[in-house]
Order: sequence, then C-alpha cells, then structure tokens
Amino acid sequence: MLREIIGGCMIALGVAVFVTAVAGVYRFKYVLNRMHAASLGDTLGMLLVLGGLIVISGFTALSVKLLAIIVFSWLAGPVMSHLIARAEVMTHAHIEDECEVIERVDHI
Amino acid sequence: MSKKTDALRRFSGWVNGETAGHAAVHREAARIEHKKLLPELDEQQRIRLFSWQYKLVALVVCLTVVAVLLYTVFHLPLFGDPENPAVNEVVQRYVEDGLEETGAVNMVAGMILDYRAFDTFGESSVLFLAVTSVMMLLLRDAKNIVRDEDVQEEHERIIERQTSDIILQKVTSLVMPCIMLFGAYVVLNGHISPGGGFSGGAVMGAGLILLGASFGIDKVRTFFTMKTFRRITSTALLCYAASKAYSFFTGANGLETGIPLGTPGAIFSSGLILVLDICVGMVVACTMYGFYVLFSRGEI
Amino acid sequence: MSIIFELLLILALIICAIAALGSRRLLVTVVIFMAYSLIMSIIWALLQSPDLAITEAAVGAGVTGILFFMTLKKIHALKGTKDE
Repeated sequence: MLREIIGGCMIALGVAVFVTAVAGVYRFKYVLNRMHAASLGDTLGMLLVLGGLIVISGFTALSVKLLAIIVFSWLAGPVMSHLIARAEVMTHAHIEDECEVIERVDHI
Repeated sequence: MSKKTDALRRFSGWVNGETAGHAAVHREAARIEHKKLLPELDEQQRIRLFSWQYKLVALVVCLTVVAVLLYTVFHLPLFGDPENPAVNEVVQRYVEDGLEETGAVNMVAGMILDYRAFDTFGESSVLFLAVTSVMMLLLRDAKNIVRDEDVQEEHERIIERQTSDIILQKVTSLVMPCIMLFGAYVVLNGHISPGGGFSGGAVMGAGLILLGASFGIDKVRTFFTMKTFRRITSTALLCYAASKAYSFFTGANGLETGIPLGTPGAIFSSGLILVLDICVGMVVACTMYGFYVLFSRGEI
Repeated sequence: MSIIFELLLILALIICAIAALGSRRLLVTVVIFMAYSLIMSIIWALLQSPDLAITEAAVGAGVTGILFFMTLKKIHALKGTKDE
C-alpha cells in the first residue's frame, strides 16, 4: 500500500515536470531557451515517472528493464541536447542578438 | 477569403513557427524564391502552371481517396471479432498446429519464416534490389566522378574531422555495444519473443549508422568495407535460398529437414527458423548501413 | 480508458499528417514525419504487434529520417546551414 502511494506521488511529480517542460517550450522563443526547458522533461521527468513505476512494481525483471530505460535516456538525452545546441551555435550567424556570448570558438 | 482557408493558413503558420505579422513577409520571400527556381518560365506560363485547376484537381483526387477509404473502413469488421472472414481454417491451422509443426513459440515468426518463407525471401531480395539501385545511382567509382563533387567531398571530410565531438564519441562507445547486443538478441530470439530478423537487423543497422556518424565513416571502414558488404549480403541471401529451396520447389509442403525441432522456448529450437532469422538480419543491417553511407558519401 | 488514449493518438496522427503537408520548410516536414512514425509505433504496440512496433521505431523514426536528412543535404535544401 505504502509503495503504491509513494510511486503514485512520484509519477504525479514527473507528470508535473513534463507539464512544466511543455509550458516552457511554448513560453520561450529562442531555440536554446526552448531546449533548456525541454531537456528538463527528458531527464528529470523521465526519472520520476519511471522511478515511480519501479517503486510500484518492486524488485522484479520489469523494474530492471525500467532501470535500463532510465540509464539509456539519461545517456542519450543530454548528448542529443548538446549536439543540437552545438549545431545551433555553429550555424547561427548572429547569435549575439539572442543571448550573451562570452567567447565564441569557431571550429571552421 | 473564406473563414476555412484562413483557419488553414493560420494552422500552417503555426506549423512553420510564424506569428501573424511575419507570415506575410515569409510568404513574400517564399514567392520570390519560387520565382528564382523557375527563371526560364515567364509570368504567363507560371500562372497557367499553378492555376486554380491544378488545385481543384488535387482537391477532387484527395477527397475521392478519403471517401473511398472511409467507406471501406466503415464496412470493416471489428478488430479481433471471432466472426471475421479472416478467421478460417488457415488461421486455425496456424494457431493450433503452428507450435507443433514449426517449433516456434512466436507464432508470427513461425508463419513468416516457415509457412510463408517464400514471401520473406522476396522481401529480403527487394531490400537487396533497393540497395543495388541506390548503388547504381550514387556509387562513386571510376566511371561516376564529377570534379565539383570531389572538391565538395574533400571539404566535407575536413569539416567532419574538425567538428568531431568528444562527448558524442565517448557516449557512443558506451552505448554502441549495448545497441549491437540488443540487435543480436532480437535476431536470435526471433522464434521465442517478439522481434525477428527484420527488427533486429534494423536495430543493428541503426547502431552502425550511429558509429559512422560519430566517429566518421573512415573509422567504420576499418572493419566494414565494400567487400564485407558484398560478401555478407550475397552469402546471407544465398544461404536463405539454399536452406528453403526444397520447400519452394515442392509447393511449400514442408518436407522433413532432418533437423530436430527441439523443445519450444529453447534457443536451438524450431529448426531452420533461427538460421533464416540470422540471414534476414544480416541483409537488413548491411542494407541500412549501406543506404546511409551511399547517401552521405557515395562509397561504402 | 484505453479507447480514449487510442483516440488521442489517432488525433495526433491526423494532426501530424496535415502539419507535414502544411509546413513550408522540408526540414520541418521531415521532423514531423518522424513524429508521425513514433506515434504510429505506439499504435502498433497497442494493436498487439510489438515486432512491428520495434521495426517502425527503428526504420520509420530512425533510419528514414536520417536518409531524408542526407537527401536534403545532397540537394542543398537545408536552410541556415553552412552548405548553402
């Protein structure tokens, strides 16, 4: 019983994080800001929802699979965000208009 | 302007990320660009080309197709209804005797790789044909070299080397073995669990594409060359054909192979299905990666 | 409950299909098409065909998208990149 309550609370928190992420995507206008909001749902929201499911299911084969999904999404999501941000910074000609630039390393 | 087209325009503006004020400017820019695309046509011809008739015909064709499809869908029986016409003696035979005759727990694998192995053979051959025709168009060999493209390729290769990303490479080397292992698992367990040759091959091909995209294609070429590609695909297809040829010639009656079926659920069970799964998986994985390389560089 | 989820997915599918037609940039069209494939793979899983779902997720959302991007790069249709 306690397990279900804790798991349900975690899933609800995760859904709240996802809602925040979606609101952020619509609220911000520039790519980097939007990505900052969206990657929140990718990592924290995913962790909370899947963690809640793990707590509910207990220690079974299913929870190990869910853990593997968490690990994979935590590996893939940040790298994806990093690559998109990198591509945006490299191809945007006037990035100074959008955000504060300390130093721009131009590879090409 | 009617209300409906306005709503449609606003929807397309939303898709394109335009606010209402900017939409007109963008549309103007697109129009000018479109003009640039067709410089040889004068104004009169362009108007005739994209006149209202064109839109009308497109609309009529679209609506007809939608109407036909909807009419068909409304007359379809319910999903999973036992009274469906598809539920006949063929399905009964598959469901009741499939496990016993093929030894595959996954009924779908038993169907597509035993009863209907000929269809799957055709599908693998279609993939092979597709990669062959792509090769004909895009492969850059001695007879298909353009000077401009060469310069551009060199330029791209330099960019690729300079922009290689250390984070991506580290994570790839972490994730890559898991992806390939998962692909191999899906291929080898095709007769036990959902999956099979095509799914697992697609996963493995995607893993190879990830490797090529993060480390550069030259790195992949150290173990996957044109020779490997040719050998693997043709060997897999020939192996498939050889192992099922008796069945194709005798009208798929399923003669005795002499291979024991084994206990259902074990990895070495269900006779030839495992071999056929591996063959299909190899062809699909090589084809996926071959497509990527041919599209990006023009050589494997 | 499940029927509501399915209806939502089908609605999202139709919106994706129309949005892919409505977008002006080819890059956006490809991204929407990939989203379409992802929704389609969830629908396959709901229709109790997990093997098709795996294939759709790997081919439709992964490999086809990459091939489309490659083609767009070849024909120089990617706006705002250094190729252009």
